[in-house]
Amino acid sequence: MEKRERHKFAYGIAGLLILAFFVWTFNLLLSVQSNWAESNDVTAMDKDVHALFDPWRNLNRPGNDVLENYEVAAQKKALGRYLQEYRQARGRLDMHGRSKVDLGDYYRDMDAAAQQAETLANRVLELAEQRESLRLAGADPALISAAETEAATTMARMDQAFQSGLDIIAGMDQVIDQRLLDLESARRKGVGSLYLIVFVALVSSALSLMLLRRTSTQGVALQSGSERLNAIVNNVVDGIVTVDESGNIESLNRTAEEIFGYSSDSMVGHNFRALISPESRALYDTADFSSDSQSAGKVAGFTGIRSDGVHFSMELEGTRISVEGRPIIIHIVRDVTERKRSQKRLQLAATVFENTSEGIMITDRNGRIQSTNPAFTAITGFAADEVLGQNPRILQSGMQSRDFYEAMWQSISDTGHWQGEIVNRRKNGEAYTQWLNINAVKDGSDRVSHYVGVTFDISELKASERMKDEFIATVSHELRTPLTSIHGSLSLLDSGVPAKSPEKSAELIRIAKENSQRLVRLIDDILSIAKIESDTMRFQLRSVNLRELVADAVEANQDYAKQFGVRLLVRSGTEDAHVLADKDRLMQVLANLLSNAVKHSPKGGEISVETRHNEGYWRVTVTDNGVGIPKSFRPEVFKKFAQADASDRRKRGGTGLGLSISKAIIDRLGGRIGFESDPGVRTCFYFDLPKMQQHWGVEAGGERIMTSAGLEAGRE
Amino acid sequence: MHDGTLRRILYVEDDADIRKIVSMSLEMVGDYAVVACGSCADALEVVDDFDPDLLLLDVMMPDVDGPATLRRLRKRESAADVPAVFITAKVQASDIERYKRLGVCDVIVKPFDPMLLSDRIGQIWQDYRSGERVDTG
Repeated sequence: MEKRERHKFAYGIAGLLILAFFVWTFNLLLSVQSNWAESNDVTAMDKDVHALFDPWRNLNRPGNDVLENYEVAAQKKALGRYLQEYRQARGRLDMHGRSKVDLGDYYRDMDAAAQQAETLANRVLELAEQRESLRLAGADPALISAAETEAATTMARMDQAFQSGLDIIAGMDQVIDQRLLDLESARRKGVGSLYLIVFVALVSSALSLMLLRRTSTQGVALQSGSERLNAIVNNVVDGIVTVDESGNIESLNRTAEEIFGYSSDSMVGHNFRALISPESRALYDTADFSSDSQSAGKVAGFTGIRSDGVHFSMELEGTRISVEGRPIIIHIVRDVTERKRSQKRLQLAATVFENTSEGIMITDRNGRIQSTNPAFTAITGFAADEVLGQNPRILQSGMQSRDFYEAMWQSISDTGHWQGEIVNRRKNGEAYTQWLNINAVKDGSDRVSHYVGVTFDISELKASERMKDEFIATVSHELRTPLTSIHGSLSLLDSGVPAKSPEKSAELIRIAKENSQRLVRLIDDILSIAKIESDTMRFQLRSVNLRELVADAVEANQDYAKQFGVRLLVRSGTEDAHVLADKDRLMQVLANLLSNAVKHSPKGGEISVETRHNEGYWRVTVTDNGVGIPKSFRPEVFKKFAQADASDRRKRGGTGLGLSISKAIIDRLGGRIGFESDPGVRTCFYFDLPKMQQHWGVEAGGERIMTSAGLEAGRE
Repeated sequence: MHDGTLRRILYVEDDADIRKIVSMSLEMVGDYAVVACGSCADALEVVDDFDPDLLLLDVMMPDVDGPATLRRLRKRESAADVPAVFITAKVQASDIERYKRLGVCDVIVKPFDPMLLSDRIGQIWQDYRSGERVDTG
């Protein structure tokens, strides 16, 4: 009797609780429903605000176009059509009533901007018309130009109005986006609460189930209630395991069976700790599963063990409750392996974003920059926070036409993709060529949410391509010039035209011969340059005595100098001057400096060659008293195909490559080359090579091989 | 008014060997009177006395190149209206297109056949004359 009274009381309380629970749930459902309805409306509104962009952009076109082509009638028509389209798009915005987004102020600003844009556009057209009729009437150019100036000024105001319209639309979009975000988070909260309801229902059901088992006063109705409860518990996405005070498993649901890979029967009665890896058992033992707090006891970082021995990341919640004075713990178990994995993937993606050498820029769908990586900063010079919220047009160089950008956006809106070369401007104003790849990123509902631009700087590549092209064009020109003489003189001789004049024939034969020799020298020099530039020229490094080398070079070139009536003198001391170098290449340099000096010396001139100390270097100087090098030409001296006076080149038989080859050789040998010139008085070319050191370990006869890219190998 | 026959050619070329060959070819094969100059300065000195019918100019020359030489010669009355031809070893299509836009009748590329050069120049002259007749009426 006493027991029944107690039950009645308990049922009464439970009834009240359930009633309150229902009222709460009902309210929650109502709010979720109204949230859903408003979301739909705001999404539609968002679409309509977006649809405003294009018609608005169009409004700016007739004014701009008319200033280019002065087709006033056509542009008037276009303006009328664009205004019509704009008004329709604007009208659609007034049809959204359900939402709590108040855009009243924006609408007013927008309408004012539209009014102003319309007035200004009409004014531009009117001015263009005036200008045309002035032009047709043959009016004073000053009047025409005044009309043009006013039209341009009006257009500038129009551009301002246009820009402020864009800002207003963007502002509306921002308000709407915020509202959408709010709605989304409210919905999440609502759904979260629904989960809580399910959870509360589950826990209370589980408790009831156990109560029913223990009291064993179950009726048929209660039996079916417990079956329903079982069905619910078994279908929950989380694993539920209940253990007694000493940790032995009392029950588990189907998800828990799946997580651990054991059947319920084989687990009940075993200790729960056996399902946790030894390393995380200590964490389990110290975890505080208190009874009175909702949030307490949720612990991540466990490693569970499946029946097949595989370990997995596990999140564990524990709630301690008392059932009929006997404490039990309800564990909620989640396998978080997948979540861990996606966390790792995210980390990897972030690392790549930060460390890749490609610049990456992410904008929202209105083109406002949201994120950039360090490579972007390295390329553009703009720090991430400087461009945040900006439009990428701050990078524009003005070197692409409007058509170019239109084609780009056409491709992006058609295919979601664009790639190509584009010239942009760095923060410091420098223009650079980059390869750019733009992709539109879509959200779950197939709407563009972001644009991602990936870019790398190809300006150096372009510059070296250009230099290569120029070099090839120059080589072609240089080879054709002696060929023209050879081919021309031989054709004339062959035709017999100059046969009557032996002098002319002899002259033609001389031309053919000399130009053939010149062609051979040119080809040799071009090959040398190509080898040096592709880093495949081989250097046989050995100890070279510069004093001896200079004497040999002077000896070898004495006959050549005689032809020009010039004397070569050696002014070196008796001291040996050892350097590590390739003898043949060094001879090439010396021969070049000597023949240059000879060719530019006056008849009867003297050229002195000297070897002397220059701190840690040996310096060889070749000094002449010839015409010298004009100031304007000095920076060009070591450049390819550079000659102060190109007509000299032909007369004197140079290729224009000798000094550039000499410089490359001396550079590769670790030395330096230069000149001092006092035109008409003396010109001195010199090179320095590091003095040979004992510890380099190269004795006379020993040698090392080096390509022009660097030292290759040592060899005795 | 010109009687329509090509006789005097003023030729500017910095390469002495090519200068000789072109002169010989035009004089001996084509029977033209040729004054060959090594630079723009030389050409400016002789142009008024020589009173040429046609200008033949190398393009790549030091100091003053072919196009600049043409501009300077054009300022002289004796060369203001005479047809001009470039002769060049720069043979890239883009270069040739560019030269053609500088107010010359044609561009001859090196190497050329000296036996055909006079015919070629003669043809350019003919085309220029017939174009001129159409222009004037």
